[in-house]
Amino acid sequence: MLNSLPISWISFGALLRREIARFMIINRQTIFPQIITTTLYILIFGFSLGSQIKHIQGFPYIEFILPGLVLMSVITSSYNNASTFLFSARYDYSIQDVLLTPLSYFQMIVAFTLGSMIRGLIVGLLVLSTGVFLLKLKIFSIGIVFLFLILTSQIFVSFGLLIGLWADQWDDLWTFISYVVTPLIFLGGTFYSIQMLPYPWKWISLFNPIFYMVNGFRYGIIGFHEFPIGLSLFILFVLGSALFTLTVYLFKIGYKLKT
Amino acid sequence: MTAAIEISGLVKNFNSTPVLKGIDLIIPEGTFFGLLGPNGAGKSTTINIIAGLTLKSHGTVKIFGHDVEKEYKLTRPLIGLAQQEFNLDRYLTLFDLLVYQGGLFGLRLKESKRHVEELLLRFGLWEHRMKKHQRLSGGLKRRAMIVKALIHQPKILILDEPTAGVDVELRLALWEYLKTLNKEGRTIVLTTHYLEEAKALCNEIAILHEGSILIHDTKEKVLENSQGDLHNYFIHPPEGVAHA
Repeated sequence: MLNSLPISWISFGALLRREIARFMIINRQTIFPQIITTTLYILIFGFSLGSQIKHIQGFPYIEFILPGLVLMSVITSSYNNASTFLFSARYDYSIQDVLLTPLSYFQMIVAFTLGSMIRGLIVGLLVLSTGVFLLKLKIFSIGIVFLFLILTSQIFVSFGLLIGLWADQWDDLWTFISYVVTPLIFLGGTFYSIQMLPYPWKWISLFNPIFYMVNGFRYGIIGFHEFPIGLSLFILFVLGSALFTLTVYLFKIGYKLKT
Repeated sequence: MTAAIEISGLVKNFNSTPVLKGIDLIIPEGTFFGLLGPNGAGKSTTINIIAGLTLKSHGTVKIFGHDVEKEYKLTRPLIGLAQQEFNLDRYLTLFDLLVYQGGLFGLRLKESKRHVEELLLRFGLWEHRMKKHQRLSGGLKRRAMIVKALIHQPKILILDEPTAGVDVELRLALWEYLKTLNKEGRTIVLTTHYLEEAKALCNEIAILHEGSILIHDTKEKVLENSQGDLHNYFIHPPEGVAHA
């Protein structure tokens, strides 16, 4: 069957393998720091400070915030991988090695997206396993956990590719994280239930995509949700598809890639 | 003879500044073609359009009869491009980088490794195969760029200033290798500042000046028109454009 694969799909496989190799070569930089940071969060906010906080919606504080902590690691790993790879490839012109190949722009973006998603998912699953081990948690629904992990990672990989494409300097990559992602993480119900917020903040949270990610992922882990899961999935699917389509389109027209 | 590259009415404007002003060019298969011209003449723009890295404003570019934009899946595997700037991936070793590059052009892993091994030996890069590009000297990087362009055995090899910054010994070795590739039937398009390089290697030459082709003919005729010295074209560009 492999022998009958069209050339461009063999190219696709090579590009995907290269993208995975790229972050695995420097795994001390790309995989493990996130796990250490999140483990420290669990230990400090969960066992130390968290013990001073009452239960939230009937769950121990650390169990309530664990899904958000895992998603934070997935979001930053996915975004960082995609944005830094694409920006540095534009910066040193190595992106041209890919643009010269018979790959379609759709195949290029799928390979770049999957490559960065794999890093995000490896980090996310390792952080989740650490949390589950430390808290002796029983996962409520593995299927929902995977579904929201995948969607979250894909959305932030697409953001990363778009920013990596748009950025003119390294600072631009961190600007998006500092001024957009971090506030959205903290305002998206990562560390609290939005039911605890006063009006109108409760409603404003519904415009934050990270709220739907945390909501669905938390449901998958501890079985608690504040918004219908099906609708959360739908909203994230639409957002992910729109970002992916925009990325393919920008590659196709050569935005900041071709003069 | 089949046209390896066929360019007609090629225009490129950068922010309304014309860089190429309607180029027509036919490069027959098997030619060793020299594209010469001073800085800013439009040489790199022309080859980047052929390879698909720059978007044209008007005109058509065909590779063995296939349009480079509409039929890019067919044309791109036919072209190998070695650019002037080093653009080697910083994370991978030379060996891995080249094996992946072969894969990107549809070579299966075993086949790609075999090509890489052959080319690394042929270009004297074997002992440097486990180095990342930051640890390669300028001459080694230049060779690596050519190997990268050859990895998928393209029918057309485009070289943008391939011997810029390399020592005389390596330059002569590269010349011999390029002549061999051409004798094997490969079409080679070369841009160079070294006029003696064009004289030694090419059998057809075109001279670009301010986005137009001043002359395109056999090497002998171009030399004859320039009284034996190609420098004359750069110093005193003729008023009338003499096309082949």
